[in-house]
Amino acid sequence: MIDQYVVALSTYANDIDNLILLIGVLVGFWLILCELVFFYFIIRFRAKDGRRAEYITGEEKSHKRWISYPHMLVLVCDVFIVFFAIKVWYDVKQQLPEPYETVRIVGQQWAWSFVHPGADHELGTADDIKTVDELHIEVGKVYHFKLESRDVLHSFSVPVFRLKQDAVPGRVITGWFEANGTGTHDIQCAEICGIGHALMPAQIFIESPERHAAWVAEQSPVTLASANQP
Amino acid sequence: MAMAPNQNCAAILAWAAIACFVAGGSAWAEENERGADLFRLCAVCHGEDAGGEQAIGAPAIAGMPQWYLEAQLKQFRNGNRGTHFDDLMGMRMRPMARTLTHEGDVEAVSAHVAAMPPVDPAPTLTGGDLEAGKAIFSTICITCHGPEAAGNKDLMGAAPLNRSSDWYMFRQVRNFKSGIRGSRPGDQGGALMRPMMLQLKDDQDIKNVVAYIMTLGN
Repeated sequence: MIDQYVVALSTYANDIDNLILLIGVLVGFWLILCELVFFYFIIRFRAKDGRRAEYITGEEKSHKRWISYPHMLVLVCDVFIVFFAIKVWYDVKQQLPEPYETVRIVGQQWAWSFVHPGADHELGTADDIKTVDELHIEVGKVYHFKLESRDVLHSFSVPVFRLKQDAVPGRVITGWFEANGTGTHDIQCAEICGIGHALMPAQIFIESPERHAAWVAEQSPVTLASANQP
Repeated sequence: MAMAPNQNCAAILAWAAIACFVAGGSAWAEENERGADLFRLCAVCHGEDAGGEQAIGAPAIAGMPQWYLEAQLKQFRNGNRGTHFDDLMGMRMRPMARTLTHEGDVEAVSAHVAAMPPVDPAPTLTGGDLEAGKAIFSTICITCHGPEAAGNKDLMGAAPLNRSSDWYMFRQVRNFKSGIRGSRPGDQGGALMRPMMLQLKDDQDIKNVVAYIMTLGN
C-alpha cells in the first residue's frame, strides 16, 4: 500500500511498510472510535432546559469501565505492535546476512562520500573506488555498510529501501541492505546537520550485474590512470 | 512659445538619456539587491564582510574580481571543485553554489561580493623564507598570476592571490599537489596548476612562496 507512493526496493522494505501499516490501522481505529464516543457524549449530554450539570469523580465502576476496558484493549494492541516491531528490528538491525560486498559510507557537511570495494570485492585495497554523491550497487546482492561521520550527526536515509541510520562522529556503524529492483533513487540526510543539510542529496544507482561490472571496470583506478595518460 | 527644430531634437535626446539612465539605474539597483539577497547565505560562513573564517575553512572573498568569483562558483556547480573524496572544505561549498539555480544568480552574487571593500587577511603561517619564496614565485607563478599576483582572466583564469589568506593558499597548493583539486577532466585551469605545484618539493617550499605572495598585496 505504502509502495504505491514510495516504491519499495529492498528485501526488508515490505516488512517495515507492513509494520507502519499495522501501527497506522490500530492507532487509527482507536482514534476514530474515541472521537465517535466523545462526540456521542457531547451530543447526548448537551445542555438541556431543566437539567442541572452534574459533577462526577469517575470513581464508580460504571464510569471507570469507560477507561479500563479500552485501556486493556489498547494494551493488547500494544503487544501486537511490540511483537511485530521486535521481529522487524531483529531481522533488519540485529541479523546481518552474509555480505557479497561491504561499502564505506561517509557523511560530512554537506555531502555523502562512498568507498566501493572495486573488482576484488575487498575494502581497503588499491582498487577501491571513491565517489562523492553516488553509490553504485548490484541488484540482488547483500551489501554491508560501514557508516561514519566526519563532523556532526548525520542520518543516512534511502527512502526506497526504508533505510535510515544515524551517522555518529567517532563511531563506525554497520548495517546492511539488499536491493530487489534496479533504478536510480535518492539518498538523503535525515538529521539536521547545519545550514547545508537540505543541500546534500546523493543518489543510489542500483544496477544489473552486467551494468555494475562495467561501471566498476570504468572507475577502476587502473583504467582511470591509463585514460588520463597523454 | 514654439521651439526651433534643433531645440526639439536636443529635448528628445535629453529625455531619452534621462530615461536610459533611470532604467539602467533601476536595473543595476535590482541586480545589486538580488546579489545582496543571495549573499546572505554566503555570509554564514564567509562572514558579513566576506573576510573569511579560517576555523571553518571559508576564505576571504571580498573585493575579488567578479570574473574569478563567477568562474569558481561555476566550477563548484559543475563538479570540477568540491567532488573529491578528500576535499572536505570543497564539499561544504559545492551545495551552496548549487543553490544558485536561476539565470543570473551567479553573476549577481559575484558582482555584489566584488563590490565589497577588500579585506586583507593577516598572515597566520610562520617560518616562510621570503627570498626562497620570491625565487619560486618568479620561476613558477609569475607567468600566469602576474608580478603582483593579481591574477589574469585571459590566462586560464589565473587566480588573484594577493588578497588571499595564507592558510587558504597553503591548503590549495597541497590540494593541487595531491590531486584533490585540478584532477577532474573538465578542470583545464586546474590541470595546468597541478604540474606547476608538483614542482614545490615540500611544505616548506609552499610556506616560502605563500609568505612572499602575502607581501605583494596585503
